[in-house]
Amino acid sequence: MLPPVPRTDPDQAIKVEDLGVQYDLRFTKKTTIRRSLGQLIGRNTPERFWALRHVSLRVLHGESLAVIGPNGAGKSTLLQVLAGIIRPSEGVVDVHGHVSGLLTLGAGFDRELSGRDNILLGGAFLGLDDVVTRAMLPSIIEYAELGDFIDQPLKTYSSGMRARLGFAIATSVNPDILLLDEVLATGDAAFRAKSKARVIEIVKAAKAVVLVTHDMSWVTEYCNRALLIEKGRVIMEGDPAEVVAVHQQHMEEARARKIAAAEAAGVDHRVAPAR
Amino acid sequence: MVPFRAMSVTSEAPAAFRNAAGDPGALRLIREGVSDILSRRRLVRYLVQADMRKRGADTVLGNFWWVLDPLLQMVVYWVFVSIIVRRDLPDYPLFIFAAILPWKWFTASVTDGTTSVTSQDRLIKQIQFPKLVLPVAATTAGVVGFAFGLIPLGLLMLFYQDRISGYLLLIPIIAAVQYVFTLAVAFLLSAGNVFFRDLGNVSRHVLRLWWYLSPGLYSLAVLDELAFVQDNPWLKTLAALNPFAILFESYRAVIYGGTFPDWTALALLLVGSLIFLGVTTVLFKRLEPNFAKVL
Repeated sequence: MLPPVPRTDPDQAIKVEDLGVQYDLRFTKKTTIRRSLGQLIGRNTPERFWALRHVSLRVLHGESLAVIGPNGAGKSTLLQVLAGIIRPSEGVVDVHGHVSGLLTLGAGFDRELSGRDNILLGGAFLGLDDVVTRAMLPSIIEYAELGDFIDQPLKTYSSGMRARLGFAIATSVNPDILLLDEVLATGDAAFRAKSKARVIEIVKAAKAVVLVTHDMSWVTEYCNRALLIEKGRVIMEGDPAEVVAVHQQHMEEARARKIAAAEAAGVDHRVAPAR
Repeated sequence: MVPFRAMSVTSEAPAAFRNAAGDPGALRLIREGVSDILSRRRLVRYLVQADMRKRGADTVLGNFWWVLDPLLQMVVYWVFVSIIVRRDLPDYPLFIFAAILPWKWFTASVTDGTTSVTSQDRLIKQIQFPKLVLPVAATTAGVVGFAFGLIPLGLLMLFYQDRISGYLLLIPIIAAVQYVFTLAVAFLLSAGNVFFRDLGNVSRHVLRLWWYLSPGLYSLAVLDELAFVQDNPWLKTLAALNPFAILFESYRAVIYGGTFPDWTALALLLVGSLIFLGVTTVLFKRLEPNFAKVL
């Protein structure tokens, strides 16, 4: 059933070498034909921007790697590359095993369809066999606590119900390599506790985990290693507690710089010397 | 929790050795595109079913509109042409209906196909799946609409019973050629719309112009009577090369004329459409890796 996966090194789940992802702002900014014509006539300055550059990392089987960094550092882009959603502009990405990401809850839901139809459609998007999805249906419906609502169109759901359904679908998969992007951010308090337990369960079952989060307690508690990314470059890699400490220090500094800039007043004693 | 290897099917393209180097050749991209769709037949089916269900559920009359809509449109053109333009063709309602039906299918598929990729932007940024299924589903949903359109055609034929013939059975063959052509257009526009979001506006106007330039309300032979076509015979050749000139004349031959369609023209259109489809598939597959970045 499983297609053969080339395994050069049985211990390595993910190997990334000198990865670079470049965005061409001419295209990535939502353009229209009208604006493109305007650009042709006007000065044509190619705007390029590296979302990630010179990123190398390794994740061994059984490891759980946390990727942390400020907003816009390129964390999510890294996960998208590992999931195969974005093709790297340079470098090599080598992923051994079957990858799954937990979707941001409820992505791709169709508001007009019933919960049941959405589960089937979601399964088909994920590439699951229909038999498998149908076998999963009862457990997903039960876990999402939807009851009779399952055959109602999604537009009648509350946002909590929608989040629960999204979470139940996303976590019903059982991959070798798990990519998590801020999955714990949604849902009410009761469901969040339940979902955290479920994620821990999956993390333990998966052979390797790469996780993007702003929840530092999660990083120190459940990850073997952490990677700090800032502005698309790897700043530090190592013990979660140490990396978190550096990250928090950098965040403090950035905040201080911002305050200083806002006040536009001389030298603030909290500003560290430039790196 | 059900224990199983969920991702076994997703990873049909192994994630290993993904790198920036090298663009695969055109033939390989076409092969990939075909296997993308074949491996995700079920997804295409679900998307088509979802589309059907939505359209049926949204309106009170549901599927009834699919029957009524082309008939009403036919009445509008009939009134317009017979009262204002004052052309007189025998059984004119059937004459234009033979063109309205395939044209409605084409415009619906092109309109839905154009936004098929951009409307799934959130999903595209989060999971890896062959994006080619989206325009395929949009185009295929149009086929179902066309099939529904055969009901009003049947009703209309009751008024023109002397035109009922075995040639009607050839409609699926002509529709198959149209499907290939429509699919190629949908691939082109769905990928293009990712980069140029106002493509929908442009295509709407192009479609309207295309309809009036195609022999839908008139027959291709009418062009011979026009003075400026007589002066410039190449215009007639150009008009005959229009894919929808071939399609409309073919549909009309089997529905209205009671004859065989022009097989040579139809075969040429099929070959041309297949080449066009190959080109747009390669284009789509080339652009596909950039979708997640741009959306």
